[in-house]
Amino acid sequence: MLRAGCQLLNQAAAVKTGSNNFALEFVRWRRKPRWLPVAKSKMFRVPERKKQTEEERTELMRLHNNYKTQLRSVRQYLREEVVRQQETSTADHIVLTPEQEEAEFQRCLDENAAWNAKIASERNVRLAEEREAKVAYVQERLEAAKLRSEERREKVDERIRYEIEQAKTFITRESLEVAIETALANPVDHNYAIDLEGNMYRGR
Amino acid sequence: MSQKVIKYIGRTTDFRGNSLWEIVGNLPDWGVGRMVIRNMFQRYPEPCYMRILKVQAIDEQPNEVRKVRVTVEKTWRGITQPKPVEIYSTSYKADYELVPLSEEHKFLTNNKKAASVVLPTKLDLPPLLREYVRDETGEMNPQMAVHFKKTHNKNARLAQAGEQPTLQMSMDVGKPAPISAKLYDGLL
Repeated sequence: MLRAGCQLLNQAAAVKTGSNNFALEFVRWRRKPRWLPVAKSKMFRVPERKKQTEEERTELMRLHNNYKTQLRSVRQYLREEVVRQQETSTADHIVLTPEQEEAEFQRCLDENAAWNAKIASERNVRLAEEREAKVAYVQERLEAAKLRSEERREKVDERIRYEIEQAKTFITRESLEVAIETALANPVDHNYAIDLEGNMYRGR
Repeated sequence: MSQKVIKYIGRTTDFRGNSLWEIVGNLPDWGVGRMVIRNMFQRYPEPCYMRILKVQAIDEQPNEVRKVRVTVEKTWRGITQPKPVEIYSTSYKADYELVPLSEEHKFLTNNKKAASVVLPTKLDLPPLLREYVRDETGEMNPQMAVHFKKTHNKNARLAQAGEQPTLQMSMDVGKPAPISAKLYDGLL
């Protein structure tokens, strides 16, 4: 029934705005949304200021003052009630004598000390293990480094030996004349071709 | 040529006068020692006026009425407040008026004073809460203390022990003032 009524309203609104397609009218809500500007027809409307008579004003002031005082009083009453409730009630906590409190505190202290001792022994074992592991790791790394340096020395020695071997055929200042003579006596011709079988075809 | 009649269009206001800066800005020594009034407060038969003690100018803000920080000695409904009052946030209101020196006696000779209100100290509980408290405590007419916080500008106070309160309060409509009694004709 309600829905049918709504539809009727919407239809009526649609009919009303049927002719002018530039004016956007919201049919879902029966009021202009806040973000649309003031309607052109309402732009220069000055709302009427209602005059209150003196008796009305006095009476409304009296009722307002009374209401405010009553409300503040009730709030204060309820606040005090809650405070009193919290102070006197034992609903959410257990009341203990000083001796019981002391004993309870001592018990908690002992328990805490026991926990601490247990955790300390566990921690010592763990730390010893960690220390051993660290020593082993460092030792391993040291040995590896030693091995590496030996290998490098070996490689370098080999290279040096190779270079010394090579140095025997170098052309020195003394053997320069002989080398030139030899080169002139044996000219090398690089101008040749090689086929797939490796046969050499000299050009000249 | 007939006189030109200015017709004002727009919302009306109950304010009458100038903003405080428009007054003190044009006076020698910023009007210190002069008397100003708020026209809104002239509705009371008791005198309401302020005497300027100190003026501190504030820079003008764009698109706002210029404010000013003025310390005044305030007399409200015939009672001079013990401490000076600073006017700043309300200084833009165009409701202030300078009292000419020749007319200050009108306010100074008016000896009327607003009557002090004596509030009751006890008040009935609201009906539903009263029923609950009755059920819990067995007390037939439980009452609560009236909440009242005394500040320097309040003219009311709680009744002392054995004193008769001037204001009767109850948890219903109460008794209307004589002036507005006719609103309740045939109802009460």
